Amino acid sequence: MPSYIIRRLLLVIPTVFFAISFLFLLFFVLPGDPANLIAGGGDRNPNPIRVQQVTERYGLDDPLLTQFTNYWGRTLQWDLGESFENGRSVNEILGARAKNSLRLGIWAIIIEVVVGISVGLYSAIRRYSIRDKLTTVFTSVASAIPVFVLGFILQYVFAVYPNKHDWPQWARLRTSLIGPPGSGDGDWFFFFIPAGEQWRYLILPAFTLASVSTALLARMMRGSMLEVLQADYMRTARSKGLGERDIVVRHGLRNAMLPVITLIGLDFGAVVGAAVLTETVFSWPGLGSAIAGAVQDRDLPIVLGLTLVVVIVYSLVNLLVDISYAWFDPRVRLGDSDNR
Amino acid sequence: MSKKLASLLAILMAFSLIAASCGDDDDAADTDTDTDQTDDGSDDGTDDGTDDGTDDGTDVGGATGGEFIDGGTFVGDPPEHIDPHLNSTLDAYQVINALYDGLTEIDASDPANPTIVPLVAESYEPNDDASVWTFEIRDGLTFSNGDPITASTFQKSWERAADLAGDYSYLLTFIDGGAERLAGEADTISGVAADDETNTLTVTLDAPYSNFDAVAGFQLFFPMPDAAIDAGAEWENGVMIGNGPYAMETARTDQEIILVKNDSWAGDFNGETWPDRLDRILFVTQADPDTAYNALEAGEAMNANIPPARVADAQESYGTTLDVNILGSYHFVINGRDDRIGGDENLKLRQAISAAINRPEINTAVYNDSRTQSTGITPPGIPGFAADICDYCAYDADQAQTLFDEWVAEGGVQDGPIPIQFNADAGHEPVVQIIVDNLTAIGIEAEAQPFPSETYFSQLADGECVICRAGWFADYPTYDNFMFDLFHGSALDGNNFGFQSEEFDALVDEAKQTVDKDAQAALFQEAEDILLNQETYAIPINWYRGDYAYDQAKVTNFPQTNFGLILWEQITLAG
Repeated sequence: MPSYIIRRLLLVIPTVFFAISFLFLLFFVLPGDPANLIAGGGDRNPNPIRVQQVTERYGLDDPLLTQFTNYWGRTLQWDLGESFENGRSVNEILGARAKNSLRLGIWAIIIEVVVGISVGLYSAIRRYSIRDKLTTVFTSVASAIPVFVLGFILQYVFAVYPNKHDWPQWARLRTSLIGPPGSGDGDWFFFFIPAGEQWRYLILPAFTLASVSTALLARMMRGSMLEVLQADYMRTARSKGLGERDIVVRHGLRNAMLPVITLIGLDFGAVVGAAVLTETVFSWPGLGSAIAGAVQDRDLPIVLGLTLVVVIVYSLVNLLVDISYAWFDPRVRLGDSDNR
Repeated sequence: MSKKLASLLAILMAFSLIAASCGDDDDAADTDTDTDQTDDGSDDGTDDGTDDGTDDGTDVGGATGGEFIDGGTFVGDPPEHIDPHLNSTLDAYQVINALYDGLTEIDASDPANPTIVPLVAESYEPNDDASVWTFEIRDGLTFSNGDPITASTFQKSWERAADLAGDYSYLLTFIDGGAERLAGEADTISGVAADDETNTLTVTLDAPYSNFDAVAGFQLFFPMPDAAIDAGAEWENGVMIGNGPYAMETARTDQEIILVKNDSWAGDFNGETWPDRLDRILFVTQADPDTAYNALEAGEAMNANIPPARVADAQESYGTTLDVNILGSYHFVINGRDDRIGGDENLKLRQAISAAINRPEINTAVYNDSRTQSTGITPPGIPGFAADICDYCAYDADQAQTLFDEWVAEGGVQDGPIPIQFNADAGHEPVVQIIVDNLTAIGIEAEAQPFPSETYFSQLADGECVICRAGWFADYPTYDNFMFDLFHGSALDGNNFGFQSEEFDALVDEAKQTVDKDAQAALFQEAEDILLNQETYAIPINWYRGDYAYDQAKVTNFPQTNFGLILWEQITLAG
């Protein structure tokens, strides 16, 4: 097991290298002269002197290979450069946004796991019951409603309407950092559990972000569980006289969890790095919207710096997922191939 | 097993899973924390800056209750630049204008007749032909950090502006030697002389310019402390020191900009210091116009930009600045160098196009009547304005049909639809669609041609404009801010996308140098007549109006000038 983990951790290095190098090279294929855009060409015709200054400052007239090696040289020292657009340090932007994205992402995943698995499980056990059918309808609707529509509806129902009618307003829309204006980063237990008012700001975006994945997870859980419930070993367990709870939890659930765990792992990368719509609808200062904005502005250092972290987080979470396979299914022996 | 038991079992299993998943999530949280620690180098900086600053501010704002939360100024992206020598947007100018005072100021208390008044300058006067301007700087003025402001502060600041070469740096070429300094061929701007003994700044212009006092109060000419000169383009990413009613509390982040009252502010042009002004202003970046408006409705932000679809709602529920006529024009320009539409032989086609556009429909259908239908490029409120200059701006399908038929009879042939260009995803699609429909109705083939927003203006400047959308907010109340900056030959492929007329240029040049205001106005009007009627290379659509909504329950006064600027020091909060 330890050697497996080390080998998997080492695999993160080429993954990150190829992902980021690919993006770097892609940048130079996009239309528009980078220097021109950085100098403000997106909004107006930039001053040629400024274009020249930008070209020199960022070495944009160096050969591509030189720029490429310079980039990796700096990145290895965790110097992610500065934004082409306004000269702000990417490390700083990343520091602020990664925290927000992780907090939102963790809560979305918690909602997804708790609600998705419970609903899926219930549906499977009570197959073809009215509640199962209702669940099917509900999950189909939830996965079909576009995230931004759901976001606006939730905003209106839980924040705007109560405010207009002087009702207690338990969900808030952020206007500053996460939390009441002036509360800064706020206090958090274990990094992600809000100690104060922050939860009011977190709850709507977390539900919005989780909605589609929760519905999909519930569907997958139901399907996976139904398959497992019909397996031979389940009949064996029943014939051994095991209690229904033991059968479902110890035999059924653990086997049914494998595909579900894979989905959760894949989803974590998406909720942390690509939650563009939710972040936009809620003005949530996370990584996804920053990356999307930076791509539009051709702000290469931000795109690369932020993506770098998303790729690392994603790789690590998927490593956790793989390790958890062994926990859910003892037949999975990580790293066994070495011994054969 | 009974149904009840099965339900209970499912609930129990769900709970056991919650426990299990919480265990997993703890792991996940640990992983996240680890990741976070990996970027310690980066995090430290942000944490320190953000936390410290915000906490400090809470003490100030919370104690007096004078905090304004702005959710309407930065929608979409945080500002690219907030350095007055680099910025070219009105949004960022809202912040800059709160941070800095210039030599002169616009007194817009009479919106129909804005005037230029001295501010950091105690007085100023031009010589007879307006080629040399002398500014007497007020004694004893300082920046918020105590650095003195003298005549030489301006001299050094303008040289910094030349070094940074921002989008507005072309204004330096109005000054003798400015072009040379901008091109790096000189160490100083030869036309600027500063005498700190008498605190006098003497500016010799490249050519006589009777409106230079207006330009001298614009952001490119704001005074900057020595620290800004040392910091160069990095200045805007730290705590910028200024001389305006507000000072920066902390360095900007891409989520917020925080300003606090500058107690050492010398006051406005009337000497009024607005002592009860806001203690603190928090500018929050909102990702989306509708989200920003929802934040106002949810009671979080105190103001918002009004999305066109919410105009009626805003008027009903909130205070708005919709009645403020902004000195800005939304129009289309025609590239004279394009064979399909340029040249004398296509004059009637251009006139037909302008007359065919149903401007009232655009204003109602797209903007919910939140703009003013324009009768020229230059809006009312600009000195010298004349109503109804444009002969082809009233929607007249018959006139358009006649002109188009004449053009065809004279041998005009379309060899394909004329592209009408605009920057995509910025709300212009419905405007262009109405125009295309209007033109099709009288037989002119046209098609919408969206360009990516990121490259739109660069593409226009590269000569790709045929009929292309443009918009302009006045920087200062002068006629030449429209005629010179947008249509003069020297702005060609800058802000001018293809209008070339020696006659027009000569009139504008002469008007700029004319000291007599009436004579100057007549010359500018004559030039605009060429642009709109005799040669028809611009198609006015509408003039902007204010588009802020503010929560009257919390904000009792929210003044916006007709330059679009919010007078932050004059905002008052309820109780």
